[in-house]
Amino acid sequence: MRAIPSPEQVMLRDTAQRLAATMAVITPGDIKGFDRNAGWRSLVETGLTAMRLRDDGAPLATGYEAGLAVEAVGGQLLPVPLLGHLLAQELIALSGAQSDDGIYALAMTRGLDQVAAPGQADAVVFDGVGAEFVVWLGEDGSVHRSRLTAGPESGADLCRPFLSADVYAATEVLGAPLSPDDRIRWTAFALSMMCAEMIGVMRTGLTQAVEYAKTRVQYDQPIGSFQAVQHMCADILVRTEAAASAAQYAAWAVDVLPPSESLLAARTAKAFCAGAGRDVGETLMQVYGGIGQTWEHVAHLRARRLIVDAKLFGDEADQLLHIADLRMGAA
Amino acid sequence: MDYLENAEEVAFRARVRAWLEQNAPRDWRETVESEADMGLLIRGWQSRLHEGGFVGLSWPVEFGGHGLSATYEAILNDELGRADTPRISFHNYLGRAVFTYGTEAQKERFLPPMLSGDMQWCQGFSEPGAGSDLASLRTFAERRGDKYVVNGQKMWTSGAQHADWCILLVRTDREVAKHKGITCLLTSAKAPGITIRPIHIADGTPETCEMFFDDVEIPVEQRIGDEGAGWRIAMTVLSYERGPGDIGMVATYQAALTRLERMAAERGVLHEPEVRKAIAKAYVRGEVLRLNVVEQLSKRVAGAVPGPDGSISRLLLTQAVQSIHQLELELAGADALTGRNDAFGEYLRSRPISIFGGTSEIQKNILATQVLGLPR
Repeated sequence: MRAIPSPEQVMLRDTAQRLAATMAVITPGDIKGFDRNAGWRSLVETGLTAMRLRDDGAPLATGYEAGLAVEAVGGQLLPVPLLGHLLAQELIALSGAQSDDGIYALAMTRGLDQVAAPGQADAVVFDGVGAEFVVWLGEDGSVHRSRLTAGPESGADLCRPFLSADVYAATEVLGAPLSPDDRIRWTAFALSMMCAEMIGVMRTGLTQAVEYAKTRVQYDQPIGSFQAVQHMCADILVRTEAAASAAQYAAWAVDVLPPSESLLAARTAKAFCAGAGRDVGETLMQVYGGIGQTWEHVAHLRARRLIVDAKLFGDEADQLLHIADLRMGAA
Repeated sequence: MDYLENAEEVAFRARVRAWLEQNAPRDWRETVESEADMGLLIRGWQSRLHEGGFVGLSWPVEFGGHGLSATYEAILNDELGRADTPRISFHNYLGRAVFTYGTEAQKERFLPPMLSGDMQWCQGFSEPGAGSDLASLRTFAERRGDKYVVNGQKMWTSGAQHADWCILLVRTDREVAKHKGITCLLTSAKAPGITIRPIHIADGTPETCEMFFDDVEIPVEQRIGDEGAGWRIAMTVLSYERGPGDIGMVATYQAALTRLERMAAERGVLHEPEVRKAIAKAYVRGEVLRLNVVEQLSKRVAGAVPGPDGSISRLLLTQAVQSIHQLELELAGADALTGRNDAFGEYLRSRPISIFGGTSEIQKNILATQVLGLPR
């Protein structure tokens, strides 16, 4: 048992983080002017978009490694559809269909708790800005795709707005329907990747807030010397690193443990991340004082991302009820 | 990244489990009636574990250990917790002070009986005026020829009622900065001039002790490290005390969760969504703690010494244990308050966890200044 990254995994993490940092969004003004094509190309060139493609049935990278990439890209709030693409690609791979060079997004139910079935009313597209196709999941496990055309953007997460899905009705079927076990595997993968992204947002947010607390002076002292501020930061550290321990285990489990166990690990991680997300987002804003409440500041962009991620594929309460069913049997 | 146990680790776990089935004390919670019983039980249990070859797993072979990685300590602790055995003595982290800083003669004299359980130990660090601010301790040791004469008072010396020996922090120099005037001594707990009195915690049990030192003579050869080097030694000991993997708290927590689920079933509330969510949340807290400890342990196996980030798992442990006893109290309802079950006692006994070994606030100070690098 060695629950630490290998040297290659450390290198992957560092590479992904360096790349993401060069394109970081630090104010809402960065989003409009972001060169999405160049951003996507650099992810493709680094191999991050192809991580879960299959070679002889085996993924090119493990769930843990995919999590490292998602954490890095999400941590800098890059407006490129890596997360949605990886989740959609995983569905396509599990269906056995050949993949192509398309950029994929996911159709979600109105409640954001699962992938929408083709033609489902009120569906929304997750991570669709910059994508070419939308993937749907039929109740029988069949995977469908439709072509995505630019529609109106909306929603709380400014770096990753939702798109209306009403117009993407015509679909084609990909591969064969997923088995019940593969659907569980996919859900575990999706939850793990949401957690990985939340970890990235919280870790980067904490690093930046701590830097601010070291330099911002009030009463002739850096505010980071005040115990009240120190304890806010320490609380975020504890919740973030605890969440990271659970998230990293869940991402590792995707490829290794039996489906039911990897799903329990993923729901456990998501319950904890979702429970911490909004609080951490709020506390990060609080550390900055007044400036952290302003439109131009990055703090609300992180809080927005954390709140939306917490909800996707089920919030804390949803996960806890699932966990109770998994451990104690249905009520 | 790999969370699976390898073949040797799997085999070791099976061996421990089989051995425990034959050897673990049974029904001890019901049969132990006094503190003296408890002392005998702990001593006998450690000696049995030692004969079985399970004590000092991660200590170097030259000091009587088995030279195994910390993973094996974790497997042992996990199995001990599952089998609900009595706690083992504090030898693991106290012994580190002796084999890291002691002389050859001290290692020969103290390590073997420390491992076998023949010599039980307690830790004399805190004082009435030196709790969170440990370095302000005032118990004074005056050098007179080849011995020290010690006067003062120690508090929160858990296990002193069963101890043969005590690892003691004393002030030997009042003129230098407070961290620099501290020295580490070993003393017989039965030495003339030592008085040990129980401290009863809020639930009424004599959970810990205070020790009074009145002209207690300690030979110079029982000093660990140099005069004035005591602070560094104390920090080593405390960093190992803070790793919950070392003290098997994770499995103990899991046992508490199982008891909680049983109680909810018995009270017929297992179908209520609020109860299901609360129990699931207790499970999540336990898993998060376990996985954080596993990660810390993996870092240690890879060669890292316990650092200030151990305060993260310590805080997770504190929150998990205190929350589960709060939940138990809620689920037990009025019965806990009218004395029909022991949920209230369990709850009270969970409260000191946010105090001993460094309060939660001190843990956060450590994280803020030593991990995040915020200014003092």
